[in-house]
Amino acid sequence: MSRLVIKNLHVSVKDKEILKGVNLTVEEGETVALLGMNGHGKSTLLGAIMGNPNYTVTSGSVKLDDVEILGLPVNERSKAGLFLAMQYPAEIPGVNSADFYKAAMNAHREKPMSLFQFYSSLQSAYKAMEIPFEMSQRNLNEGFSGGEKKRNEILQMKLLDPKITFLDEIDSGLDVDAMQIVAKAINEEQAKGKGFLVISHYARLYSMIHPTRAAVMVNGRIAVEGGPEIIKRIDTEGYEWIKTELGISLDKDEAPMNKVSIGVCATKEAALGGEKK
Amino acid sequence: MGITLINNEISDRDFEVKEGEELTLNLAYFDAFKPCKINVKVHKNATLNAAFADFGKGKGKFEFNVYLEEEGANCNFHSACLASASDDKVFDTSVYHNAAHTSAIMSNYGITRDSSKLVFTGVSEIKKGSIATVTRQEAKIIVFDPDCKGACSPILKIDENDVSASHAATVGRLNEQHLFYLLSRGIDEQTAKRLITLGYLKPVEQYFDEEALRENIDKAIEEGI
Repeated sequence: MSRLVIKNLHVSVKDKEILKGVNLTVEEGETVALLGMNGHGKSTLLGAIMGNPNYTVTSGSVKLDDVEILGLPVNERSKAGLFLAMQYPAEIPGVNSADFYKAAMNAHREKPMSLFQFYSSLQSAYKAMEIPFEMSQRNLNEGFSGGEKKRNEILQMKLLDPKITFLDEIDSGLDVDAMQIVAKAINEEQAKGKGFLVISHYARLYSMIHPTRAAVMVNGRIAVEGGPEIIKRIDTEGYEWIKTELGISLDKDEAPMNKVSIGVCATKEAALGGEKK
Repeated sequence: MGITLINNEISDRDFEVKEGEELTLNLAYFDAFKPCKINVKVHKNATLNAAFADFGKGKGKFEFNVYLEEEGANCNFHSACLASASDDKVFDTSVYHNAAHTSAIMSNYGITRDSSKLVFTGVSEIKKGSIATVTRQEAKIIVFDPDCKGACSPILKIDENDVSASHAATVGRLNEQHLFYLLSRGIDEQTAKRLITLGYLKPVEQYFDEEALRENIDKAIEEGI
């Protein structure tokens, strides 16, 4: 059984330290809910493990079955069995979706697939995600609606069959029907014994995919770990109790809500802001 | 009607598209890049569909001017250009809206590599009285290597209020986040760069009529990247 072990991970964006020593383990067969307020480093954790160039790992380790992931190029991390469904999937001009899926699927195997094999898996994945098959001839994510992009991420998860999947706010931009389709696809992978690390701000998704554990990120560290009851508690009480019960004060260097309100935006802002100067 | 000109067949030329007619003009350089000037006059309710695939090696300026002379004249111009080694190429593609109800798309996509230089320039001019005119200019260049240069300077000159005009120009390195997205799905860097480059140059093929020519363009793209 595969096991992802994150140890004392420190990550910076430009010169600002976002993750300050994260320790967390995710095993195949588990679904871990990653909770925490905006701007505390949840998206940064997923992006850094996958190798997003916006993030600099300053120390720590991330091992998948004793292989140090942080030493691998990004594509090798995918081939090792990790998959990140992104919060904001990139729109890639001119790159045909089907060509891209074929290249990605072939990268994951020794011998390239036959055209027949490829099209039958592609067709069944499109069918399961209830996306019209014609979309496979469109440019990758270009002009897709928010919901289409998210379904497309799950479609890729199905095609690539990762051991451990990271879902970064997969439910944002999805209507109720689409959420059910996505949850069903996740449930199927769970039944196969795959592992998930899931960021969501809504209890609805969690009620559909039943996390086995929850971890709460505060100030760039995992402050609390426990059973799924934590999700319910945060959904009803918010994060205030962490402050009072655990005596953790929340860092005040967060930008005010009206300026930058979500984690990935904060890091984007830091990255882009630096370039402009 | 269709005219296809390849390599040496391309030279200084004047074309006219007569009332109600449609001209498809397919141009391609596969060996030497030659400076040249082409003018096309488009008359009433006539359409020019022009496509240019440039894999030529050399220096100089390629000038393409389209004159939309009468009402209902249209122009669609699409180009894809690869500059490599010590190429130094300028594409000056202009359209002049000299009558009402005319429309034009001028679209240029380019890749620069090694120590080459590539410039997309051109004017979209709308004369006074050319009402209900639609014009769009696009110029996009990806700069691959530290020593190459790319520049886009589309110009809109508009002397009429009742028009729709837009332009988009971008010059930039390969987008890091685009690359990350592709890599994160297991695709190696070389293949990912190839996919992005193909995405830039390949769409021009759809504007070429002959299958054999499309295949040659495909080959030139593959060889160039």
